[in-house]
Amino acid sequence: MSISEAMQSAARDVLASGQVQRVIGYETGPHGRVRPAIIDRPEEAERLVWSADCTHNLTVYLHRALTGENGRASREAVAPPARVAIVVKPCDSRAINVLLAEHQFSREQVFAIGMACEGMRQGAPASAPEATLQARCLRCRERVPVVHDVLLGEPPSALPEALPDEALAHVRDLPPAERAAFWLSQFDRCIRCYACRQACPMCNCPTCLFEQEDALWVGMRIAPSEKRTFHLGRALHLAGRCVGCNECERVCPMGIPIGLLNRHLAETVESLYGHRAGMQPVLSPVTGMLSAEESAP
Amino acid sequence: MKTLSRENLNLWLDGLAAQHALIAPHLEAPGVFYRPVQRAQEIAWEAGRPVLSAKEFLFPPSERLLKVEKRGPDVRLEASPSAAPQVIFGLRPCDARGIRVLDTAFVDTPPIDSRYASRRENTLLVGLACRSMGASCFCTAVGLAPDDPRDMDVMFSDRGATLAVQALTPRGEALIANLPLVEELGEVEPASRREVGGLPTAEAWKESYSDARWAKHGERCLSCRLCAYVCPTCRCYDVRDEALPSPPGEAHFERLRAWDSCMREGYRLTAGGHNPRAASGSRLRNRLLCKFVYYPHQYGPAACTGCGRCLDACPVNLDLLEIGGALQEAAQ
Amino acid sequence: MYEPKVIGFLCTWCSYTGADSAGTSRLKTPWNLRAVRVPCSGRVAPELILRAFDQGADGVLVLGCHIGECHYDSGNHRAAKRIPLLLSILEFAGMQPERLRLDWVSASEGDRYARIVSEFVDALRPLGPNTWRINGAAPRADAAIGMPLPAASGLSGGAPCP
Repeated sequence: MSISEAMQSAARDVLASGQVQRVIGYETGPHGRVRPAIIDRPEEAERLVWSADCTHNLTVYLHRALTGENGRASREAVAPPARVAIVVKPCDSRAINVLLAEHQFSREQVFAIGMACEGMRQGAPASAPEATLQARCLRCRERVPVVHDVLLGEPPSALPEALPDEALAHVRDLPPAERAAFWLSQFDRCIRCYACRQACPMCNCPTCLFEQEDALWVGMRIAPSEKRTFHLGRALHLAGRCVGCNECERVCPMGIPIGLLNRHLAETVESLYGHRAGMQPVLSPVTGMLSAEESAP
Repeated sequence: MKTLSRENLNLWLDGLAAQHALIAPHLEAPGVFYRPVQRAQEIAWEAGRPVLSAKEFLFPPSERLLKVEKRGPDVRLEASPSAAPQVIFGLRPCDARGIRVLDTAFVDTPPIDSRYASRRENTLLVGLACRSMGASCFCTAVGLAPDDPRDMDVMFSDRGATLAVQALTPRGEALIANLPLVEELGEVEPASRREVGGLPTAEAWKESYSDARWAKHGERCLSCRLCAYVCPTCRCYDVRDEALPSPPGEAHFERLRAWDSCMREGYRLTAGGHNPRAASGSRLRNRLLCKFVYYPHQYGPAACTGCGRCLDACPVNLDLLEIGGALQEAAQ
Repeated sequence: MYEPKVIGFLCTWCSYTGADSAGTSRLKTPWNLRAVRVPCSGRVAPELILRAFDQGADGVLVLGCHIGECHYDSGNHRAAKRIPLLLSILEFAGMQPERLRLDWVSASEGDRYARIVSEFVDALRPLGPNTWRINGAAPRADAAIGMPLPAASGLSGGAPCP
C-alpha cells in the first residue's frame, strides 16, 4: 500500500467511525497543482493525495474549521465539527503545538495524521523537471511530526546533513546601509494583499493590528514606509511563534523573502531565550514571563 | 502591412522615454513587472506575463486625493496635480482590455473619477501581440485573442527582424506619424490560439447564487486579496483621512485612497457590527459574480480578461475555470 | 553638530519620577528628549517604537523600573524580552542599533536618568539624522546582492513575449 493510499484509508476510517467529522488534507487540482482539500464524507477520501508537493501548512484551517467560521454561504446555522483530522508534516505539527499553547482549541479536537517527511519539492507544478528540495527542507532535520495521533511512512534512519542558512548569513553580513537598501527594495514590491498573513496559521487575530480602523499603527498607504512597518511588525508578532513553514514566502505574489525576517527572529529568540517554537505546547517567551522569572526578586 | 525595423523601434522607444514616462515589461529578480524604463535596453522582450497587470499606472495602489493644511482659522485644500503623459509599451491584449473595462466604470459612467480620467487622458496604450497563449491563459474564452489589437492605440506584432505596426486610434496614428515605416507585402501571421472551455454563461453564473458549492470553495479560500490585486479589472478602493507630520502651529492631513478588495473579511462590515458577507464562500461568490454578472449589468463589459493571473497566483489554487465549469454543468 | 530628536517612553512609577528628580536636583540633561509618560515599560508596544521611527525620531529611549521593582510585577520583564527582539529586527532591516535603548531608572535615581539620557544623545549625535523615515517612493532599483530570491508565484504562467 502506497503512502497516499495509507493516508486515504486513515482518513476514511476516522470519518466512517465518526471519530472526526472533517478531514483536512491535500488533493490534486487543475494543471496538476496540489492544493488543500477539506472533506466531510468517507467516500471523498479517495481524492486525497500525499506527495512531495504537499507544501501547504494546513493548520491555518484548523481554527476556522473548529469554530464553524467555515465559509458557509447559506444562512443556515451549521454546527461546527467537534473533531477534525488534519494531515501534518513535521513543521506543520509544530504549529499545532503553538496554537494549543494559545488555547485556540484543545488537543482532543484534533486528530493529527502525521506524515514522515523527506522534504517538499521546489516549484508548484508537479511536472517541474529536475525537482529539487525547497531550501527550507534542506535546512530541516525533522522527519517525524512532534504532534501526531497516527504516523504514516517510514522516517529515514540516516538523516542528510542539514544545510546552513546561507541566505540569512548573507543578508546579516551586508553593511547596514546596503541591508537597509536591500530591504527597502524588497518591501517596495509589496502590494499589501496580505496573502502572507492569511496563509499563516499564527496570524489568527480577529482583526489585524495593522488594519484596525481606529488605531493608526500604520497608515493605509501602499507605500514603502507603511509596508516596511507591516512586515517588521508582523515578524515581531511571530517571534517565538513562527515554526518556519515558509508559507508567507511561498504565497507572496511579489517574491519578497519574508521568511528571512522570521528566521532571523527565530534564531534570535533561540539564542536569547532558548525557545524553539512549537516543539512543546508552551507559549512564546516573548508574550509572558519565563517560569524562572516569576519568582525573581 | 507596415513594418518597422528593430533598430528603429529601439531608437523610437529611447526617444519616447526621454519625452514621456515610458512603462514596459522589465525583469527584476523575482519576475517581470510593468515598470517605468529609461531606455529600450531595459525592456524584457522574451519574458512571460508580467506578475501584475498594468492597472497600477492608471489606478495606483494608493494615492493622495486631497491635502488639507490648517493654520489657525485658515484651512487650505490642495487637490493633487493632474497626471503627466505616459506611454505603456509591450502591453498585452488582456491587460489593455483590463484598462478598457476600468474605463467603463471610472470614465464612461458618471460620476467620472477625475484622478483616473486625468491619467487615462494622458496614457497611450502600445501593445505587443502575444505569439501564443500561456498554460493558464484563457483570453479566448472571454472573446479576446492573444494578438487582439482592439483595445490598443498602437499594436506591434513581432516578425523577427522587423515588427508589423498598426495604429488603431487617431492618437495612436499621431504617435507613430513620424516613424520610418516600410510597406511590406503579406499579412501578419496570427497568433496560435487555444480554445479554453469552462466559463459559464451569464445566465448560469446568475443561477449559481444559491449553489452549495460556493460554501465548499469558501472553506479553502484564505480571504487574502491576492486575486483582486493581481486582477486587471478589480477596482475597489477605500478612502481615509490621515494626519501628516506638520510644522509647529499647523495641522496637515491628507485624504488617501488605496486598493481594497471584497475578498477581505471586513470589507462589507456595517455600522453596528453586522457583516452580510461574513462567510468566505459568499465573498468568493461576490467577486466572481461581480466579474460576470454585476459589472456587465452596470457598465457593459464582463470584468474578466482571461489573463489567468488569479489561477496562477492563488495560494490554494482556487480556479475560476474549475469553479465555473462545475456551475455550467449544474446549470445544464 | 547634529541635534537628534529623541522620543523617551518613561514609566510613570519609576523613570518619569526619576526624570522629575533629575530636574529638582538641577542636573543638566539634554533637551533632545521628548518624554512620553506611560503606565509601564511593558505598555510600550514595539509598534509604538516603529511608529516613532516612521514619524522621524532619531532615537527612542525606553526607561522602566528595575527588574523586580515593576509596579505591575511583570511589565518590565515583558519589555526586557520584547525590546531586544525589536532591536534585533531593526538592525536586521538596516537601522543602527544605537538608535534604540532600553534601560532602568528608579524614582530616586535622578543622576542615573541624567547620565543615561546624556549617553544616549551623545551616541546619536555622530550618527546624524535618521534615514529611516521615507518620504515618497523608495529606490526602485533592485538591490542586487547575489542571493537567490523566491520567484514571484504569479510567474509560472503566461507565454513568453515574442
